[in-house]
Amino acid sequence: MKPLALIGGIVAIAAVTAALLLSGSSYAVQVAITALIFVILTASLNLVTGTAGLMTLGHAAFYGIGAYTAALLSTKLGLSFWVALPLAGLVTAFFGFLVALPTMRLTSIYFAVATLAIGEMIVVAITNWTGFTRGPMGIRGIPTISVFGYEGLTVNLLVVLAATLVSMWAIWRLTHSYYGNGLRALREDDQCAEAMGLNAVRLKIEAFTIACFFAGVAGALFAHTSGYISPESFRFGESILLLTMAVVGGLGSVPGSAIGAIILIVLPELLRGAGNVRMVAVGAVLFLCILFLPKGLFGEVSALAFARNQLRRAGLGWSR
Amino acid sequence: MFDVHFLQQIVNGLSLGLVYALVAIGFTLIFGVLNVVNFAHGEVYTIGAFAGLLLITSVAPPLFAVLLVVAAVGALTGFGLERLAFKPFRRFRDEASIKSRAMREATLLSSLALSIVAREVLDLAFGGEMQVIPQSYLLQKPIMIGGLALTDGNLVILGASVVMLAGLQWMLYRTRTGLAIRAVSNNVLGAQFVGINTERAIIATFLVGSMLGGVAGIMVGLYDGSIFPYMGFGPAVKAFVAMVMGGLSSIPGAVISALILGVAESVATDFVSAGWKDLIAYGFLVVTLIFFPRGIFGYSRERV
Amino acid sequence: MSALLEIEAVTRRFGGLTAVDAVSAAIQPGTLVGLIGPNGAGKTTLFNLISGVTPVTSGTIRLAGEPITGLEPYQIARRGIGRTFQNLRIFPNMTVFDNVSVGPLGHARNGWWEPLGLGGARAAAEREQVTKSAREALERVGLSSEANELAANLSYGKRKYLEIARALAGRPRLLILDEPAAGLNERETAALARFIRELNGEGLTVLLVEHDMSLVMEICQRVMVLASGRKIADGTPVEVQRDPAVLAAYLGTEEEAHG
Repeated sequence: MKPLALIGGIVAIAAVTAALLLSGSSYAVQVAITALIFVILTASLNLVTGTAGLMTLGHAAFYGIGAYTAALLSTKLGLSFWVALPLAGLVTAFFGFLVALPTMRLTSIYFAVATLAIGEMIVVAITNWTGFTRGPMGIRGIPTISVFGYEGLTVNLLVVLAATLVSMWAIWRLTHSYYGNGLRALREDDQCAEAMGLNAVRLKIEAFTIACFFAGVAGALFAHTSGYISPESFRFGESILLLTMAVVGGLGSVPGSAIGAIILIVLPELLRGAGNVRMVAVGAVLFLCILFLPKGLFGEVSALAFARNQLRRAGLGWSR
Repeated sequence: MFDVHFLQQIVNGLSLGLVYALVAIGFTLIFGVLNVVNFAHGEVYTIGAFAGLLLITSVAPPLFAVLLVVAAVGALTGFGLERLAFKPFRRFRDEASIKSRAMREATLLSSLALSIVAREVLDLAFGGEMQVIPQSYLLQKPIMIGGLALTDGNLVILGASVVMLAGLQWMLYRTRTGLAIRAVSNNVLGAQFVGINTERAIIATFLVGSMLGGVAGIMVGLYDGSIFPYMGFGPAVKAFVAMVMGGLSSIPGAVISALILGVAESVATDFVSAGWKDLIAYGFLVVTLIFFPRGIFGYSRERV
Repeated sequence: MSALLEIEAVTRRFGGLTAVDAVSAAIQPGTLVGLIGPNGAGKTTLFNLISGVTPVTSGTIRLAGEPITGLEPYQIARRGIGRTFQNLRIFPNMTVFDNVSVGPLGHARNGWWEPLGLGGARAAAEREQVTKSAREALERVGLSSEANELAANLSYGKRKYLEIARALAGRPRLLILDEPAAGLNERETAALARFIRELNGEGLTVLLVEHDMSLVMEICQRVMVLASGRKIADGTPVEVQRDPAVLAAYLGTEEEAHG
């Protein structure tokens, strides 16, 4: 990336962060933390749905697996956040792999429905396996994040911000590379991509697994910044919210994911008074978006063109 | 083993299955004609139930009239749904566009979005609690036949289902609209070439399918005694599973699968607690998708 | 010299219909072979059997002596068979360059670790190789100036060349073209014919299906004729043109014509 753009980005993020922390409003910081977690989630969903073309309707369930894994590791085994985070990601990736293996040969809408069913099955399992997960009562008392002894809202925000930046970097790199190109080819025409030598099934499974890894990371962040989790946060409705964020921001576009997530978290908070209208708004936004803005706000074509311009000096292709 | 209790479960399961069947037919018809999944079908069911309730609490007509009005409301809802969520994506008349993946995914999302809006609006309007249903309308009066304890609800469901299924058969095979629907399901382009108005056929499909769904909704509402905004989700999923099990474009297949599903769920309540019950339908679905690509009854399906 | 592609008694049945019936053929390396036949003769099916998209019912297909029947399409592609499609399957929402780079991508060993920087020098070298192959293929077909154009915006004729570039970028040993001249006018067809002959002149083995007789007869060194799933003729263009069986398949016999 052009050094100027990079520095500009860093300065902007630093400025916003400083403003949030100095504002003295713990509410604003909490909203920011939530927004960042959803940025990770949406970007991960975008990798598998927008870039690789696999519409999945059960992503929130994997978010849940990550959250529960982290929560259980720290409450039952006393592991620190720093160990629980990567483990949550890996465990979730593993579950994603297990789910992807048998389902990956299904075509688009059947795959979507299968993921919907599996997502619900996961939530049902979490809700009813009370001995292990405490069921609908959820898990309380998840220890907060501790950095060299420092704790609190500021620490949470900074850690989540760091995690978001790293995740976004990774997903951006994956998308803007020949690997990402391969995934896009799958989305465009997977039979044809196979005829060109791409192992479609394997690539799809990889994309799904990687997306689940990041969903797990987001789940762990959620668990440790909120201290309490319950199955209600990981239902089908949440998966739809994620999908809406991805669609609004622009399927296949990494910056679009961030935009979509931030808009759909911050906007309802600004409209706090009409709190119950949140889901109606989500549904309406999704519908209007599909109808009028099918490419989203910062769709893939624009995002890729934007990135292309950055790389133009290096010549064609996805070289650095 | 074949004791009364078991038979009881079977009978209850069959009632449940018939309801799933009515909803499943709606899915199947729409899928056959447009090759898409109508994610808002469950909401048609819910809207039917609420419409019936409104009618009952305001005018209190006889049950028969309620069912008829609900059928009309269902049809109307289906029509609106088709115009809003499906029509705008049928920009071209050729087959490639009508059955394209982009259109299928777009309508999946648009119908999904509308279903959310509908559900949440109902939630805002009526609240998430179960609605109060006037005693006299509850289909829960016990009737003893042999040793079996049925309710009048079982009989109403059975009667209404039989009538509607027979009506459906008649419509599909004895009327021009039905012929049009079957033709379009089979071969869209061919149907157009022989002058069939595909638009009308598609609309008719939505009307009929939603009519069945709406009536199913009010019947279950009165039978269970519970009407609430989220009631459509469960039956819709089960109906969808039935459709897939039945081989996707087959109405008899969907009906039989729905009955199997209903009975399986009913019988399973003896063995697992209520929370795990939903797992059955999901499990059936995943197993069918993965191991029976042609549906359990072996009807053909495009590349899955 | 042993054949590059050997098709031994390959049959494909779809339920009651036999689309390809015990077809045998051998394609020598460096040759330009045409496959013709009336509609429904099984030509595209045969192509799909070769590239692995459709499984054979019986028979064997060998590439450079190695059996490829039963392999997944991507494995067969990686062994050096590149193809284009009858109904022009490009990736519309990707740029021209990205389209073409999918060709060599299948052969690359790089995986998800490469973009994350975990691949080291070898991964970087492979990346350079992909870029180079794609660039060269684009130049070969004359689309270098459109490299950053969205594939969906290309004209029909250019899309054809894009598909060929994509197949070429994978450096195939055998190039299969499925009705490359479909939808092209006379001038475009002639240009395409010249281009294909050039490719063959550089040593590339080409097998093509075509309905346009002039193209086939002009550039192919050898022509095979399929009718109703069976191979009914195999020889030079001149021989095939005079073969009564071929004429009968296309035109009906004398009796049928006058009967």
